[in-house]
Amino acid sequence: MAELSVENVRLRLGGMEILKGVSMELERGQVVALLGPSGSGKTTLLRAVAGLEQPFAGRISLGGRPVFDAGARIDLPAEKRNLGLVFQSYALWPHRTVFDNVAYGLKLRGVGSGEIRQRVEQVLGQIGLGQHAGRFPHQLSGGQQQRVALARALVYSPPVILLDEPLSNLDAKLREEARAWLRELIVTLHLSALCVTHDQVEAMAIADRILLLNAGQVEQAGTPQEMYGAPKSLFVAEFMGANNRLDGTLAERRDGYAALAVAGKAQDEPLLWGRMQGERAAGGPATGIVRLESVRPADGPGENRLGLELVTSMYLGERWEYLFHRGPLKVRAYGDRELAPGRHWLEFPPDRVWLF
Amino acid sequence: MRTSFPRISVILVTALVVLAPLGLVFYQSFLDNPFFAPKIQFTLSAYEYVLTDEDFHSAFLNSLMIATGMTAIAVPLGGILAFLVVRTDLPGRRWLEPLLLLPVFLSPVVLAFGYVVAAGPVGFLSLPAEAWFGFVPWDIYSITGLVLVAGLTHVPHVYLYASSALRGVSSDLEEAARVGGAGPWRVAIDVSLPMVMPALLYAGVLVFFLGFELFGLPLVLGDPQGILVMSTYLYKLTNLLGTPSYQLMAVVVVALVFVTFPLVVLQRTLLRQAGKYVTMKGKGARQTPLKLGGWKWLALGLLALWLVATVVIPLAGIGLRSVVSSWGRGVTLADQLTLAHYRDLWEYPNLIRGILNTLGIGVIGGALSVACYTAVALAAHRWPSRWVRLLDFLVLVPRAMPGLVAGLAILWIFLFVPGLGYLKSTMISVWIAYSVVWLAYGMRLISSALLQVAPELEEGARVVGAGPHRVNLDVTIPLIRFGLLGSWLLIFMIFVREYSTGIYLLGPGTEVIGSLLVSLWGTGDIDLISALSVINVAMVGVGLLAALRLGVRLHG
Repeated sequence: MAELSVENVRLRLGGMEILKGVSMELERGQVVALLGPSGSGKTTLLRAVAGLEQPFAGRISLGGRPVFDAGARIDLPAEKRNLGLVFQSYALWPHRTVFDNVAYGLKLRGVGSGEIRQRVEQVLGQIGLGQHAGRFPHQLSGGQQQRVALARALVYSPPVILLDEPLSNLDAKLREEARAWLRELIVTLHLSALCVTHDQVEAMAIADRILLLNAGQVEQAGTPQEMYGAPKSLFVAEFMGANNRLDGTLAERRDGYAALAVAGKAQDEPLLWGRMQGERAAGGPATGIVRLESVRPADGPGENRLGLELVTSMYLGERWEYLFHRGPLKVRAYGDRELAPGRHWLEFPPDRVWLF
Repeated sequence: MRTSFPRISVILVTALVVLAPLGLVFYQSFLDNPFFAPKIQFTLSAYEYVLTDEDFHSAFLNSLMIATGMTAIAVPLGGILAFLVVRTDLPGRRWLEPLLLLPVFLSPVVLAFGYVVAAGPVGFLSLPAEAWFGFVPWDIYSITGLVLVAGLTHVPHVYLYASSALRGVSSDLEEAARVGGAGPWRVAIDVSLPMVMPALLYAGVLVFFLGFELFGLPLVLGDPQGILVMSTYLYKLTNLLGTPSYQLMAVVVVALVFVTFPLVVLQRTLLRQAGKYVTMKGKGARQTPLKLGGWKWLALGLLALWLVATVVIPLAGIGLRSVVSSWGRGVTLADQLTLAHYRDLWEYPNLIRGILNTLGIGVIGGALSVACYTAVALAAHRWPSRWVRLLDFLVLVPRAMPGLVAGLAILWIFLFVPGLGYLKSTMISVWIAYSVVWLAYGMRLISSALLQVAPELEEGARVVGAGPHRVNLDVTIPLIRFGLLGSWLLIFMIFVREYSTGIYLLGPGTEVIGSLLVSLWGTGDIDLISALSVINVAMVGVGLLAALRLGVRLHG
C-alpha cells in the first residue's frame, strides 16, 4: 500500500490557484522528488501534505488513513499527522540546544526522559553529531544545522519525512557531499521521503521517482531515467539536463521519426532527423531538443550533420565546451580538445533528438 | 479554521473593553440627563448647546490652528534632524539619538510646568532677559508660544518615522544616481526625499492628530490667557453648570472622535503605503554617511539649539524650581536653595500614595498590560481571518480616544454597570483605562516582536507534534521574550508618564502622579508640583536608562 497518496489536490493561495489537481503516490522505502521551476507549486504541495496549507479539494492519505479529505471535511492539523519535515531554512529553535531541538518531538509524545536521552543520542550518532548535543544552533555550521534539522524530523520515526529544498542553503561543494550522505542515510534507514527541489541533478541523485510540476499540474512522473531519457513534452525535455534548442519546420514524417528543416537552412544541407514526440502535421513549426552531451563534432558533412561557425571554446577542466553560431541558430557541445576557429561539422544522432 | 475558539474569545473580550466605553458615550450624548438618572429622555439638545456655544467654536479653531502650526514646525525639523543623524557623519550621532527621543517619554504637563517656571512672565530666564532687553522678548502664554512649544516637543515623533525610513534606503540607490551623473543635492532631492516622502506624510498626519488631542500643554500654557482647545474645553465643562454635565461632555467627546477617527484611519492607510519604498529592510541596507565637512558645526548647532529649547530649558527649570523656596522679582537664587519641598511631600498622604501607585501601575500594571497585549496579539498571530481584520479595526478605536476621554468613558462604565462600582475607587479602574488607551501602542510593540519570529520555527513545532497552545508556550513566547521585556520597559515609561487618562478617575486610592499634577495645577501650588514633577521625570529616567542599557529599541 502507498505510504502517502495525494489525489486531485487543488489549493488556492491569495486568490491564485497554486495547485490545479495534483495526484501522486509514495511507496514505502521510496524517495519521490517534487521538481519544478519556482512558482510551480512544489513547496505548496509539500506543505499541504504536512498540514500547513489547506487545499479546497482532493484527498491526502497517510498509510491508507485520510488526513485530508475535502469531501468528507477531514482536515487533521499538522501536529496530528505524525510527519517529519526538514525546512529549507532548517528552522532550528534558536533558544534550544541541539539535544532539546531533537528531543522536543519525543517529549510531546510523552516518552520517558531516559528513553528520550537514549533515542536522541542514537539519532545524533547516526548523523555524526554526537559530540554537539549541548550546543546551540548558532554555534553550528550550515551543514551541521542541516543534519540537526534532519535528526529532529527522524527521531520519532515518522512514516514519511518531508524535505523542503534540504540542500539549497549549502554552498556548492558541500552540497554534493551532503547529497551523497543524504541518499546513503535514506537507503540505510529505509526511509520514505518526499523531497522538494528545483535542481534536476539533485532530484535525479536522491530520488527513486520524480514528479515534475509545471504551473500547479504534474507535467510528467517517472524514474530519473525515464524523465531524462524519454521526456514526454517540450517542457520536460527542456527542464531536465542542458539542451540545445533547434527551431524550424517539420518537413517529413516516417514511422516515429520526423525530419526538421532548421530555420535558416542552406539549400544543400540535409534535413535533421529525430524522434517525433507528440502529434504535429508536416509543414508546421516544430522544435528539436538535443542534450549538449549528445552533440558530437564530426570530421565532415554527412547524415544529420550541420555545419556551423565556432565562436569560442571554453575549458571546463574535465572537458571543453564549444559555442557554435549560424545566423540565429546557437549550438553548444562538449568535446575533449580545443577546436581550431572556423567552420565545423556537428552530428546530431537521430535517436537523441526529440522533435516537439 | 481549527481550534479558533480561544482566539475568537480573546478578540470578543477586546471588542467589549474597547467598544463599551465609546458606545456609552454615544448613548449619553443623546440624553437630556446623566444616564443613571431615574428619568431620561432622548434629545438632541446637548448637541444644540455645544454646537452653538461660542467657546466651543473658538476651542475648535484653536485646536485646528495649533495642530496645523505644530505640524508645520515638527515635520521639516524632524526630517532634517533624522537626515543629519542617520545619513551624515555628524559627530556624536550615537549618543544624540536617545536624547532626541527623550521628549516622547516626558510628561507634557511636566514640560509645560518647566516652561512656565523657566520662561513664564517671571521665569528663571525671563527676568534676566527683561533686565537685559528691558522687556521679555517672548510670551509662552499665547497661541504662538503654544504652537512653538508643541511643535518642538513633537519633533521626536517625526524623527522616529523619518529616521527609520531613511535607514531603509540603501546607499546603492543613491550611488546609482551619483554614478549616473547627479550631484549630492540632486540625489537628495530626486532619490532620497521621494523615498522618505510617505514616512514624512504619515508623520505629518500623526502630529496633526496629536495636535487635536493636546491637553497638558494648552491646560498649563493656554489657560492663563483663556485660550481653550477641544480637550481643555471638555475639561472645563466638568463643572460648568455646577453639576457634572454628562450629556455636554459626551457631545464634545463625540465631536473629538469625529475629527480623530478619520485621521487614525488615514494614518493606517498611509502607514501601509509607507512600506512600499523600503526596498531592503534592516541590516541589508548598507549606508555610507554623507561627509558634512564644515557644515557639521552648523548642523550640530541646530541640534543643540533644539535640544536646549525642548529638553534642557523645561527640565532645568522644573529641577531648579523644586529646590528653590520661592522665586520672583529681586530674589537671589543662592539664598533660596532648599530641599523643603521634597520633605513637604511626606505630609500629604495622597501624594505619597500617588507616588507608590504610579510605581505600581508602571511595574505591575505594565507587566499585566504586556501580558494582555501579548494574548491579543497571539490571538491574531498568523491567522488569516475576518476576525483579525475586526481586531485591526478595534485597535484603532482607543487610538482615536484621547486619554482624558477614555478615562471619562471608563469612569462611566464603572458607574453604569452594577457590581463594578466598588472597583471605581481602586487602581484596577486606572489600570483598565491605561491599558485601553495604550492598546494600539502595546499591540504594535508585541506585533513587531512577533514579526521577527520566522514562520518555519512555529511550523516546525506543529509538524513535530505540538498543538497551537504548545507552540505559543514552547516556541513563540520564548523567542520573543526579549521583545516582551523591552515592551514592558516602554509601557512602564508610558504609564508612569501618563497624566490625562487618570484625571476623571482621580480619587482617594486612585492617585497617580500625572493626574495629581493636573489637579495641583488648579491650586497653583508650584512648590509641590515641581518636586512631584522631578520625581516623575526621575522614574521615567530610570526606565529609560534600563532600556538603553538592555539595548531596547525605543521605536515601537
